[in-house]
Amino acid sequence: MLHLLQIDLKKLTSYRTFWVVCGLYFFTLGTTTASGMEFLKWLVSMGASFGAEINITRIPFYHFPDVWQNITFVSGFFKAILSFMVVISITNEFSYRTVRQNVIDGLSRSQFLISKVLTNVLLSAMSTIMVFVIALITGMIYSPSIIMGDVLTDLEFFLAYFLEVFAFLSFALLLGILIQRSGLTIVILVLSRLIEAIIMANIDDYVPWMIPYLPMESISNLVPMPFPRYVFQEIQDYVSISSVLIAGAWTFVFNYLAYLKLKKSDI
Amino acid sequence: MKAVLQIENLTKNFGRLCAVNKMNLKVEAGQVFGMLGPNGSGKTTTLGMLMSVINPSSGSFKWFGEEATHETRKKIGAVLEHPIFYPYLTGQKNLELTAMIKGATKDQIAEVLQLVELTDRRNDKYKTYSLGMKQRLAIASALLNDPLVLILDEPTNGLDPMGIAEIRELIKKIASDGRTIILASHLLDEVQKVCTHFAVLKKGNMVYSGPVEDVNNGSETVEVNAEGDISEVLSAFDGVSAVNRENGFYEVKLKDGIKSKDLNKFLFEQGVTASHLVTKKRSLEKQFLEILAESK
Ligand SMILES: Nc1ncnc2c1ncn2[C@@H]1O[C@H](COP(=O)(O)OP(=O)(O)OP(=O)(O)O)[C@@H](O)[C@H]1O
Ligand SMILES: [Mg+2]
Repeated sequence: MLHLLQIDLKKLTSYRTFWVVCGLYFFTLGTTTASGMEFLKWLVSMGASFGAEINITRIPFYHFPDVWQNITFVSGFFKAILSFMVVISITNEFSYRTVRQNVIDGLSRSQFLISKVLTNVLLSAMSTIMVFVIALITGMIYSPSIIMGDVLTDLEFFLAYFLEVFAFLSFALLLGILIQRSGLTIVILVLSRLIEAIIMANIDDYVPWMIPYLPMESISNLVPMPFPRYVFQEIQDYVSISSVLIAGAWTFVFNYLAYLKLKKSDI
Repeated sequence: MKAVLQIENLTKNFGRLCAVNKMNLKVEAGQVFGMLGPNGSGKTTTLGMLMSVINPSSGSFKWFGEEATHETRKKIGAVLEHPIFYPYLTGQKNLELTAMIKGATKDQIAEVLQLVELTDRRNDKYKTYSLGMKQRLAIASALLNDPLVLILDEPTNGLDPMGIAEIRELIKKIASDGRTIILASHLLDEVQKVCTHFAVLKKGNMVYSGPVEDVNNGSETVEVNAEGDISEVLSAFDGVSAVNRENGFYEVKLKDGIKSKDLNKFLFEQGVTASHLVTKKRSLEKQFLEILAESK
């Protein structure tokens, strides 16, 4: 297993595009999530008014345990950048035909796929760890008092966040294997959420119970939107088991379809 | 002798096109096996199936008497059609990657680089290599992990004459270690020089297979010249089956078992002194074209 991961990392670590895209990802992810409060303070100092009675900088965005859900939710948007790297990595293998040579040299097709999936696991884990560290540090800076009980509450959002990123990267890997060309794959990857939104709008009147089962929807349901709670609305402030099961099932389906496709095609 | 490769009824259809049709073939240890055939006759497709990158439509094959797995392939070095590497990696890094996949040691990398004379350029990116250098790197990569079998699909494609000669020497050297080589090529001269056995494919059908030495068996052809018109004298010899005039020489086809020295003796007895008498080696090229023509 580790050997297969090392093989894929060997391909990536000497690849400039990999460092550029990953650098961009971790940089934007880090700066955006860490600087939210500074950004709001700056808005206020510029004279932005959010209504007389609310001082926006008093809203506990970064207080334990709110910070866990807030930051994992916002971080979820950046996974698209990481998925581009996955698309480039897999479509390169087809355009250079190196997948063919890898198999000739003695990788089985499933080993080839596993090496890619393991990289997805690694990238998702690194992203999760980074988000955790940022949330921990900002939480300690901005929380008025650090209560252990609060810090240890709601940590399951990181599990959900990991699954969210990994599921999406699995989807990107599958699309890359099916389409094999990077440009088209990225376009379809970006449009997939939109296409699903159109489907959702159409089935809403007939079979609304189906909506949570749609793949992109199930992935975004893992970490629900937290912000309405600051305008006194009810939100889901926990990870629902059903969303984990549905997104987990999709993740399995994505990787299994990738396996089937790779198994039966001539490369 | 132990069969390194045994192919049974191997077939590949691309839609309606039958690229390889019920092929049966046996390659034994130590053979240098040439695969010949016009463009599109199914050589690369066959080799692709043997390396499990193309799924056969039907039929089967065995390497070393066993069903092929990815572990088997680690003991087979193969370059199909053209060199395939990561363009952004250096030659050295590309080989390191292959070595990781095959489970070869790092010392072997320096060894094979030396062998194909790429040591100086090993730290340059693959995409900056010339075609010939790419070919050499591909051969180096195929040689990693001491393969028992080497599969080369037009390995001299794009090489300069010196490169071609070097690859020929390399193939001979590798073969002399007792390793088996399967070589697909259009350069029949090359095949004749290095191969012990060959097969001819035509539109997916194997129309011939046998040892290369058989090419030289059979009837001899002798080129003769002497002063004056000797065609009548030549035709009078019992051992002659045909006489042609070609390029100012008489081309005399002898019957089976008759040698050029018999003809020489006969001419001498008839009082004709030959000013030119050469036994022509039958070329594989000629035989190849004959086989293709016959199999219409
Ligand atoms: N992926 C494919 N899809 C459809 N047809 C294919 C495919 N690959 C090969 N073919 C067809 O199969 C036949 C055999 O091709 P192959 O590449 O095996 O020939 P070859 O003997 O290697 O020829 P060459 O000497 O030109 O290299 C050709 O008619 C080719 O067009
Ligand atoms: Mg070919």
